[in-house]
Amino acid sequence: MVKTPDVTNIRVKLLEHLVERGQVWNRMAEKYGVTNPVPPWKSSLDGMCDALDKYGAVLPTVTRREEEDNLTERQYAELPFPESQLVSLAHSLIARKIIDENALTNRMAEVRDRLESCT
Amino acid sequence: MTKKAPMVEEITDFEVLEIALRELAIEKGLFTAEDHRQYTEFAEAMGPTPASRLVAKAWIDPAFKKRALEDPIAASLEVGINWLNPTGFGTPSDFTALHILEDTPTLHHVVTCTLCSCYPRPILGNSPEWYRTPNYRRRIVRTPRQVLAEFGLFLSPEIEVRVEDSNSKHRFLVLPMRPDGTEGWSEEQLAAIVTRDCMIGVALPKPGVTTNAVLPVHHASEPITNNSTEK
Amino acid sequence: MADKARFSVGDKVRVRNLPTILYSRTQEYLRGAPGTITRVTYESLAPEDEAFNREDEKPEWFYIVRFKMADLWKSYAGPPQDTLQSEIVERWLEPCLA
Repeated sequence: MVKTPDVTNIRVKLLEHLVERGQVWNRMAEKYGVTNPVPPWKSSLDGMCDALDKYGAVLPTVTRREEEDNLTERQYAELPFPESQLVSLAHSLIARKIIDENALTNRMAEVRDRLESCT
Repeated sequence: MTKKAPMVEEITDFEVLEIALRELAIEKGLFTAEDHRQYTEFAEAMGPTPASRLVAKAWIDPAFKKRALEDPIAASLEVGINWLNPTGFGTPSDFTALHILEDTPTLHHVVTCTLCSCYPRPILGNSPEWYRTPNYRRRIVRTPRQVLAEFGLFLSPEIEVRVEDSNSKHRFLVLPMRPDGTEGWSEEQLAAIVTRDCMIGVALPKPGVTTNAVLPVHHASEPITNNSTEK
Repeated sequence: MADKARFSVGDKVRVRNLPTILYSRTQEYLRGAPGTITRVTYESLAPEDEAFNREDEKPEWFYIVRFKMADLWKSYAGPPQDTLQSEIVERWLEPCLA
């Protein structure tokens, strides 16, 4: 449908590391006895996808979904949904150099510190 | 539909990733915090209940059914759903063009979006995971009866199966036929058997059945015990 | 606004086989298929123009087109009356004379 750079050719170490650490919702929910079928960040992720779609130029919907399908099949096959949707989105943005992998790594460390200091 | 989710006590990588990605995206100007807030609230509020109620009302009231078929956006308002929300002109991926597909004794509809899994979210909530998979989207347009059989739905050869590929701005909701054994039921009782799967078209409403199919998706991580739909 | 709609309900059409260099919402599996117009839906910018912000292009009419499954897939094993519908923009349709 849309001829785009093949983002499945690019590896993103940061994301692969997250997959390895495996903190996926169905495991975490089971560990803590929580019955919600989706993680609490899912609606925020959907909000992000809708907000991106609003402007459309950066990553058109059809392209984003096609890449999500391909990445989910290939690189991130062990990830359940909706982690696959989130990681694919990050991968698409990093592959296009719209988001920098190092900047994201650093921001994730900051965010984790911020959240852990509140609990 | 919304309540605060009970918390797991660890902060997961994915929760952190979502926040970090979003902050960087806003700083880069990909969208505004206000946009994000609006669409997130919308995502939290949506669910399938309004659609179930629309079908139940259509079953009970022929005048409402006529309105629903002729002006589905107006009928949506009657079940509390405004397709212009949250922006005044809908969302970027749902638009404002709903169409209701009426099943008859000789016609059964099933909905898909082969391009990207578009779905009538404002009235039906978020799509199930299986609906988003290439496994469903590719096969439903090629071998619909086989895919329906995997959901446990077997249709006689006299019935026309019509697949609706919502590849453009229209969004589709199936209005299934009212099953036998529901005479005298209230709107609430009827709505309870109109599951999300019935309104996509992969199930038929049945007295006593109020839940959706639990299907294995090929990259799920828990063990599967029922029939596999792996390709 | 768009010109008058070229097609009406009941018209026999065929999905054109245009080269897809960039962006399209007309599915590959429908290219070249014969169908019937069942609804004239709305006028809007064609997806190709919308995706590239060519707002000054003229909007076109969109149609729901119905296809026989047997016309889409050579080896379709279901009954002959099974159908598929999709929503197609006018520029992707031509009259089907056969």
